[in-house]
Amino acid sequence: MLYALVFAPFLAALLMVAASGKDARSASRLATILAATLFCGSLTLLLAGDYNTTPMEWFTIPGAGISVTLSFAVNGFSAWMVFLACIITLAALVSARKTMGGNYRNFAIGMFALLGALNGTFLASDAVLFFFFFEALVLPAAILIGSYGGQERREAALNFALYTLIGSAPMAVALWYLISIAGSSYVLPVAQAAQSLPESTQTILFWCFAAAFWVKTPLFPLHGWQAQTYAEAPAGLSAVLTGSMSKAGVYGFYFWVIAIFPEVAFKNGMLLLGFGLLTAVYGAFMAMRAKDIKKLLAFSSMGHLGLAVAGIFTLNVEVFPAVLVMLVGHGLSASALFILAGSAERFAGHRFLDKMGGFASRYPMFGFFFGVASVLAIAIPGTAGFVGEFLVLLGLWGVSKVAAVVAGLCIILTGVYMLRLIQKVLFGEPGEISEDQKKLRFPIADAVATAPLLILLIVFGVFPLPITSSLDYTRVSEDQQAELEAAIEAASQPAAVAEMSKQYSAEAPVADSAVAEPAVADSVAAEPVSADTAAVEAKAVTEAEQKAVAETATAEQDVKQVEAENVR
Amino acid sequence: MIPLWLIPLFPLVGVVVLTLIALASSESEKGPDEGLVGTISVIFPLLAFVSTAFIGWNMPAEGIHETLCNWIDTPLFQAHFGFLFDGLTRTMLLFVTGIATLITMYSTGYMHKDRGFAKFFAYINLFVFSMIVLVLSDSLLLTFLGWEGVGLCSYLLIGFWNKDLKNCKAANKAFLVNRVGDVGFLLGMAALVTVGGSSLLNYTDLIAWIVNPASAEMIVSALPLLTAAGLLFFWACTAKSAQVPLLTWLPDAMAGPTPVSALIHAATMVTAGVYLVARLSQLFVILPGVLPVIALVGMLTAFWAAVAGLLQNDIKKVLAYSTISQLGYMFMAAGASAFDVSIFHVFTHAFFKATLFLGAGAVMHALAGEQDMRKMGGLLKKTPITAITMLFAYLAIIGFPGFSGFFSKDLILERVFEFSPVLGPVLYGVGLLTAVITAVYMTRLMVLVFLGKYRGELRDDQIHEAPFSMTFPMIVLAIGSAFSGYLWNVFVSGANWFEQWLTPAVGYAQKMAHFMEKAPAFMPSALFFAALGTAAAIVGAAIGYKIFKNKRIPQLKKNADTTPVGGARDWTFFFDYIHNIVIKVFNFLALVTDMVIDKFVQILQWMVCSLVFIVGDGLRSLQVRKVRLQVALSIAGVAIIGIVVYLCGGLS
Repeated sequence: MLYALVFAPFLAALLMVAASGKDARSASRLATILAATLFCGSLTLLLAGDYNTTPMEWFTIPGAGISVTLSFAVNGFSAWMVFLACIITLAALVSARKTMGGNYRNFAIGMFALLGALNGTFLASDAVLFFFFFEALVLPAAILIGSYGGQERREAALNFALYTLIGSAPMAVALWYLISIAGSSYVLPVAQAAQSLPESTQTILFWCFAAAFWVKTPLFPLHGWQAQTYAEAPAGLSAVLTGSMSKAGVYGFYFWVIAIFPEVAFKNGMLLLGFGLLTAVYGAFMAMRAKDIKKLLAFSSMGHLGLAVAGIFTLNVEVFPAVLVMLVGHGLSASALFILAGSAERFAGHRFLDKMGGFASRYPMFGFFFGVASVLAIAIPGTAGFVGEFLVLLGLWGVSKVAAVVAGLCIILTGVYMLRLIQKVLFGEPGEISEDQKKLRFPIADAVATAPLLILLIVFGVFPLPITSSLDYTRVSEDQQAELEAAIEAASQPAAVAEMSKQYSAEAPVADSAVAEPAVADSVAAEPVSADTAAVEAKAVTEAEQKAVAETATAEQDVKQVEAENVR
Repeated sequence: MIPLWLIPLFPLVGVVVLTLIALASSESEKGPDEGLVGTISVIFPLLAFVSTAFIGWNMPAEGIHETLCNWIDTPLFQAHFGFLFDGLTRTMLLFVTGIATLITMYSTGYMHKDRGFAKFFAYINLFVFSMIVLVLSDSLLLTFLGWEGVGLCSYLLIGFWNKDLKNCKAANKAFLVNRVGDVGFLLGMAALVTVGGSSLLNYTDLIAWIVNPASAEMIVSALPLLTAAGLLFFWACTAKSAQVPLLTWLPDAMAGPTPVSALIHAATMVTAGVYLVARLSQLFVILPGVLPVIALVGMLTAFWAAVAGLLQNDIKKVLAYSTISQLGYMFMAAGASAFDVSIFHVFTHAFFKATLFLGAGAVMHALAGEQDMRKMGGLLKKTPITAITMLFAYLAIIGFPGFSGFFSKDLILERVFEFSPVLGPVLYGVGLLTAVITAVYMTRLMVLVFLGKYRGELRDDQIHEAPFSMTFPMIVLAIGSAFSGYLWNVFVSGANWFEQWLTPAVGYAQKMAHFMEKAPAFMPSALFFAALGTAAAIVGAAIGYKIFKNKRIPQLKKNADTTPVGGARDWTFFFDYIHNIVIKVFNFLALVTDMVIDKFVQILQWMVCSLVFIVGDGLRSLQVRKVRLQVALSIAGVAIIGIVVYLCGGLS
């Protein structure tokens, strides 16, 4: 199933190539069916619980003797992230039906490629594989923005691509360094290798990793790409970007940064928590002043994700389920709002809040959906957003009272800018409009696309148990902590490697399935950590270049396919 | 026995049905059938009322506690959906659902031919649902659901006529001021949870925890945190119940349709704060210092708002300030740890204030929406039913002997006097003075509206009495405002049924408070207080009649503003000025963030970017598409960083 979820979207993209480019209706039908199938696939992940695939030797990087495995794993967190990615892609594809017109097929190809990359990012349990997908996110997104975005789409696409690619460059180096020590890029050996290093090195590597996710989330001050990108991207893509791709950053912090560098993360937790809160306040202030409807939503997303990162860096296993609820809630509400903002943009012909108004009386249906979506985004009790925000607030209160008060301030400010949004878009006297715009009606497709998101938001608000229970590792958390420390001590003794890997598989949120266990142990035991680190380092640098080239070559192929379609 | 969850379920079904009707008819020109929508919207609150009455009648003395299902279950925090039906809940629910039913019925007449007819009643039903959840829940968290829910409905209904941006601004203000309070509620809950785990949010568990001698030591050690929690909860109450300093939203909330003002901003929602204090009475009595704060805030609010009510020209604004002032009385009572009395005043106030608001609505209905009292007058003959129902409510609010307000206000003043040797007489004195002012401004209102000559521009035949669907609820409520006080008649021994109903919920706390207080040295009899209270009402009414009966009211321009001018303006908007300072500070911070910090980050970003471009320029000629350029640049970047790291001797 995991293989299917990662590779099927790419297959779907290929199938879409075969679809007719002219007939948007048949293309949209095909795309909807494919996306719905993928969505059903993501549901099975939620039902199945944690498990992982048998790590399979994929290839060995020549010269360095580093084995890259083809392995995927699902935990509670990633299962919900995949769920979000699939449902939002489905919603985006449904809503784009009317609006993309003849470009629908190419749009769908891009969206499927993006979905595949997203699923790969969330499911990969091999560092190189993860990095590959993490980078691959950028390309379809940038191409879609560049092709179908608003007026400043070129700048936005360039800005976005540059920012995120440069942001993850340090991670590439750090990653290479780590896997060259570990001799394998599977997550467990990598984590072992990292923890066997001296602390100063670990700190450098930690920040290299953090930088990539810092940009992706984004956190202040590396957020420069975000508002412009979200604003210029077509509505459906903005929905996926904010609803799912931004979560890749938070997921990275959770699954990679904290799992690989637990000690350093504990040392720097307060700092990152502070930056998370700073981002939350910053996003709220910027949203208060935003003049562009989609920029307002973009800053609002930034604020919420800042709060989520702050929640992650309470580094309290008890808070993680809360963060997950918050992320799911935000993903659902923000993407619904972005899709509806696309409609608002069409009604008004522009994105300026000050020149909108009166849509509630002119388009009552739209008024209803937009009103409900934005009210739910304020996170009133009974929505998933509330459960998340309240629990995160509680978690922050446990860490520091000041942090909780700041989070409370953000909750107030959320109300301020969301009400401003409602007032500017929906209320007031409808102004004069041109004949063309009079003919516009609220597309049923948008209603169909957003309604399930909104309903789920309420369902998870009343019954968040499916989300919270999927991430409940606390019952054994203290034992894990002890195991972890024992493992760090034992890291230098090759004899303990097999034992160690068992402990790790309990520590990292990877299930200890009976099949995977011996396989991992074998792979680790077979490749003992090289003593001659200097030699490995030297190789590491040269190989890093080779690998990057190899990776981008693969990515390029994808790009070329999509580009070729675009040109046509 | 009917399960408790049926009570909130009825209006919830109403919301769904009415929303569907509203949506289905949103595209049509004509709108849905008003008779059908009206019936549906009245029937669900009525069903809730009937089931409440039924359950309340058969209720065992200790109440009913139902746990439905799990809500939140994380290692950090657990909560259930659960309902608690005891004496306090029964009292609140009976009048909430009862008055809601009557006012919904009134609205079917008032909202006649409005474009958003079905939408309006969907909101009203949502409000009834939230309010029921608020008072019926067994835990703070679920109460908070109702608490924010009623705030949301208040927002939706204040801004109901949303084409006018003034209404939207009023709605936003109401929501945001309440949200400031709500954060206090959230933080208060967080504080409680840190003290004793998530079970403390449950009312019964909280009381059990406080009463349990085993936890005494824990309470003492956590007293600062508990006091903070108490103050935070009271902070939330000041927003919801419009007390100093978060009261500015309520006068603005009068922008909504008048039935909404009657239901939400007078009878039910705004009393939620008083309810919460009564519900947490057990917590408040063990916190030294919090109760006097509540009493003082109540006193300040009561006095300030009464004076502000004297200065208004808009009939609804007078009633709004009057509501604030009466809420101040309730908090005075609660602060003097007379929680049952505060709820008694909530109860009687609901009747007479609803009557007054509905009467004001009927007057506005008669005068084509006129709200300025200077353009009214002489309506006694034209709208006699309205005039007489309002007269009943008027006598109740000024505390005329025999009417409901007399009993509850008298009890409040008596209990406040007993409260403490020093603070008690001060509170009592200000309370009595406020009672005089209340009588003055209410007399002013009645005189300006119903006596004298008509001063408006409408022709005689255009002024008409309201239809039956509007007058019927007014008559019922007027009867309530006359007689509801007899449920707790201090002068007849044994006629204190109201007190008996509430004893299981708040009696223990009150006993504890009495135990801790010192009785004042001088304690006059109940009749003495009654005589002084009556004197206050009569003196106030006489003063008001004397001044305003013969006062010449200057002719007004057609679109004259109703806002008071000069010193009156400063008094009225005193707290708005303070709020504006806070708002300005935050706007300034946002401005700085936008114009300084963000610009700085952008400049930095473009400087880095242009550096990259300079490097990339050489490559540009080789590349066709920009995307490839970026890819190439990223590779170059990786390579450069890699080489630098290598040359520096690696990472170790």
